Amino acid sequence: MREQLENTRVEALEFIAAADSEERLQEIRVRLFGKKGVLTQLMKQLGTLPPAERPRAGGLAHETRAALEGAWEDKNRALQAEALTARLRQETVDVTLPGTALPAGHRHPLNTVVTDIENIFLGMGFSIAEGPEIETDYYNFEALNLPPDHPARDMQDSFYITEEFLLRSQTSPVQIRTMENMCPRLPVKIIAPGKVYRNDDDATHSPMFHQVEGLLVDKGARMSDLKGVLLQFIREMFGPEREIRMRPSFFPFTEPSAEIDVSCMFCGGDGCRLCKGTGWIEILGSGMVHPRVLTMGGYDPGAVTGFAFGVGVERVAMLKYGIDDMRLLFDNDIRFLRQF
Amino acid sequence: MRVSKEWLSEFIELRETGAELAELFTAAGVEVAGVETAAAEECGGPGDEILDLELYPNRPDCLCMAGIAREAGALLGRRPALSGWANGEEKIWPASRQRVVVDAPELCLRYAGLVTENAAIAPSPAWMRNRLSKAGVRPINNVVDITNYCMLELGQPLHAFDADKVRGDIHVRLARQGETIITLDGITRALAPDMLVIADDSGPVAIAGVMGGLATEITPATKNIFFESAHFLGASVRRASRRLGLRSESSGRFEKGVDPHLCLAALGRVAELMSELAAGRPAALTEYKGELPPPRRVTLTEGRLALVTGARYAKTEIARVLRDLDFAYTEAEGIFTVEIPFYRQDLHIEEDLIEEIARIIGYDRIPTTLPQGETTVGRRSPRQDFRLLVRDTLTRSGFCEAITYSFVNPQQDALWGGKRRIALRNPLRDELSVMRTSILPGLLEAGARNAARRNTDWLLFEMGSVYLTEEDDLREPPLEAPRLAGVLLGESGRHWREAPGAYDFFYGKGVLEALARACRVVFHYERLTEARYADLLHPGRAALVRVEGERLGVLGELHPNQNTWGGARPVVFELDLDALYRHASRKITAAGYPRFPGMSRDLAVVVAEEVAAADILRRIRELGGDLLREAGVFDLYRGAPVPPGRKSLAFHLYYQSPERTLTEEEAGAMTAEILMEVEREFGAARRQ
Repeated sequence: MREQLENTRVEALEFIAAADSEERLQEIRVRLFGKKGVLTQLMKQLGTLPPAERPRAGGLAHETRAALEGAWEDKNRALQAEALTARLRQETVDVTLPGTALPAGHRHPLNTVVTDIENIFLGMGFSIAEGPEIETDYYNFEALNLPPDHPARDMQDSFYITEEFLLRSQTSPVQIRTMENMCPRLPVKIIAPGKVYRNDDDATHSPMFHQVEGLLVDKGARMSDLKGVLLQFIREMFGPEREIRMRPSFFPFTEPSAEIDVSCMFCGGDGCRLCKGTGWIEILGSGMVHPRVLTMGGYDPGAVTGFAFGVGVERVAMLKYGIDDMRLLFDNDIRFLRQF
Repeated sequence: MRVSKEWLSEFIELRETGAELAELFTAAGVEVAGVETAAAEECGGPGDEILDLELYPNRPDCLCMAGIAREAGALLGRRPALSGWANGEEKIWPASRQRVVVDAPELCLRYAGLVTENAAIAPSPAWMRNRLSKAGVRPINNVVDITNYCMLELGQPLHAFDADKVRGDIHVRLARQGETIITLDGITRALAPDMLVIADDSGPVAIAGVMGGLATEITPATKNIFFESAHFLGASVRRASRRLGLRSESSGRFEKGVDPHLCLAALGRVAELMSELAAGRPAALTEYKGELPPPRRVTLTEGRLALVTGARYAKTEIARVLRDLDFAYTEAEGIFTVEIPFYRQDLHIEEDLIEEIARIIGYDRIPTTLPQGETTVGRRSPRQDFRLLVRDTLTRSGFCEAITYSFVNPQQDALWGGKRRIALRNPLRDELSVMRTSILPGLLEAGARNAARRNTDWLLFEMGSVYLTEEDDLREPPLEAPRLAGVLLGESGRHWREAPGAYDFFYGKGVLEALARACRVVFHYERLTEARYADLLHPGRAALVRVEGERLGVLGELHPNQNTWGGARPVVFELDLDALYRHASRKITAAGYPRFPGMSRDLAVVVAEEVAAADILRRIRELGGDLLREAGVFDLYRGAPVPPGRKSLAFHLYYQSPERTLTEEEAGAMTAEILMEVEREFGAARRQ
């Protein structure tokens, strides 16, 4: 018995050591420890030994079994580790290959700029108003203090449909429409983005372009408030280090009127090609709402004041993204659009 | 307006460089677009600098040297040295036998004519020619040059007639029906009865304030000259000039406003120059003088100035600016009453004076503050939010956003759009002459351009308005209806991991399904049978899209006839966003999920080709009731052993109860029941 156990141990250890796969090792396990396994059979024979020999033989049998089980477990762990390593090696990929292509679209840069402007003014408590693109002469001109035969009508060349209807040449008509809707409530505080049209077509003019109009009417609204609101807008749009400057200008629907320049975002104000060496870039037109326009909107210019401004979206987009030709914005070439 | 510094310094002492003056003017709202240097040899005199003024229409006073000198004076705090003429000094000559009859006094406030004799027509002297050239005016001869020179110096438009060719008295009257005139440019112009003309006994000799006639032109043989200096109503000159499509230096000035005091004064300067240049001898004057309105008085209060600007100005500062501007005023308790000079007709109300004070002192004085009023919450309307949702859904699906023109080619628009189009009266060109009634033509054009540039594999969409009317002649405002359109071209999945697949009907449908999910609605698709699309979209690969029964739009592959792009076939869609908005829901009601395990079953049936999968699916859902939580098509198969003309459709069914664990038997029984009904209703056979 003792000899048998010793032989089994030596032989089994050799087998375990030689096993080169988990399957092989499983076979060995069955052959040793299974119901009909060598070791199981030997254990069963213990009962046939004379009682005096049983304790020693039993002890030896259990020792043998424990040793073999230990060896088997060690070998099993080693084989598993080896298999895992092999699998990981086999599953290794070229991490430099491109990732799965998820659909990625792009908003038009002009609409991105409009949305950015909207968000800035929403944050300052302005709401977003809209108006028709096919306007009446009244809203596009007359109510904006541009009566028929007024020379300032030449400042923009409009597309006409009839005597009465035209494509709006500015978003300013929304000022009047909004005041009419709001009157007599205060404050009126809106921006109005949209398409506008002028009969011009060259590298710096598109016959269709976009503006964002702004209007605030309230008791005690001041030109200094206009300056403050626009400074905040410009800094949100072009960076916190930007400065603005106001220059007198002329718009029939504002008085006083002001052109707003922003310190050049390319050279920081030192003067460069883009700011023509002045350090300043013209960015938008603005002013205090003309008393006659307030009256047209239903408000009493003796009781309230207001300010208004108009931003050219194309201009902002071109400055912000370094676009040098306005026609790119309406060409809709996919290679251009994918950059935004 | 081109301003020679050398000429200007005749009226005001200038120590500043051109660049310094440019900055000063620009900061005060008289924008200088550029400063040119004119070398001595170029301008034939001493070197000069020329400021290019870009004037707004409200400052016609700056269209002459005298006016610019006044502006410079106010800015520099230096008195300009203006001649008596510039200040409206009048000189009296013997009255001419020729009378002036003004038949339309409301359109002509003043009219004066100076007759000179013994004209010697010759080139004007170099100094005058140089100044004119620097101002951008071509020298012609001494007489014409004098009229231009005086206009540039004082701002009064002038015209010289050959006096011997003017027959009888001068009439300032409206044109008569059928009258014509050949203008100086040699063009015969038909006159309308609302146009003011200067006429002699034979008919019109000039269109008032616009252009003179060829018949009375100054020629080398001219002996006696009639210099016209008049004041015509701006609006009337503007109307005539626009109707005739004829603009001149003179019409541009009258439109914006000329100081009526200059009429006679300018003739004084003409006489002076005629004598100086020995071009002729001033002899007689004929004159009409209408009543000038009294000077306008506008009040300016200290309080209002502070309120509007938000800046503080001392009373002494206000007074100083008014003096620098040479405005007469009185002041009492912070209220300034200002007499507006005739050359500043742009100043009507207190705000105009507020701008004057603020701009002369400089807008830098205005501080930076924030509105003091009630706090408001800025918000987008639900409709505006909806548009952002649609845009984001499309870009998330891989689309790039396009913006095309709202005006399009009428023929292309007629193919895709509505019955009536709103036409522009003055389009840039025919291809951009009507307002679109569909977004697709413009988007397809952008697509074709991309294809021609070999840009492949892209998805383009545009969101914007179409312009709809029921009228042939627009009387009521048209409907501006928001639309969404898309064009898909090329292959998806051109990637090392995936098999490429062309964008087809189902890819497009997938995009719309994503949109439907985002809007929390269900789209229904049916075969598109509208006749108008027969040649536009592939008849077998196009669908009418509905939401809750309402027509939303169309989706389809472009008809092979329409596809001239070569290669891949584009997929297009266009949807009515107003309709989608009406049905879209923003409300989310969340629910938990059943805790009991569910049971999956597959069901494959063979049906005739014509049977619509959606119909079977709808029936399956009805039959499955509450326990059928999900059902969908997972396979479509044609070919052996499925007989020709039939197809095999495989459905995935998933049962689940919120109350208990379903048994195999239940799932089996429900599936069997569904199968039986589907077999019966759709002539289906269970696929073996």
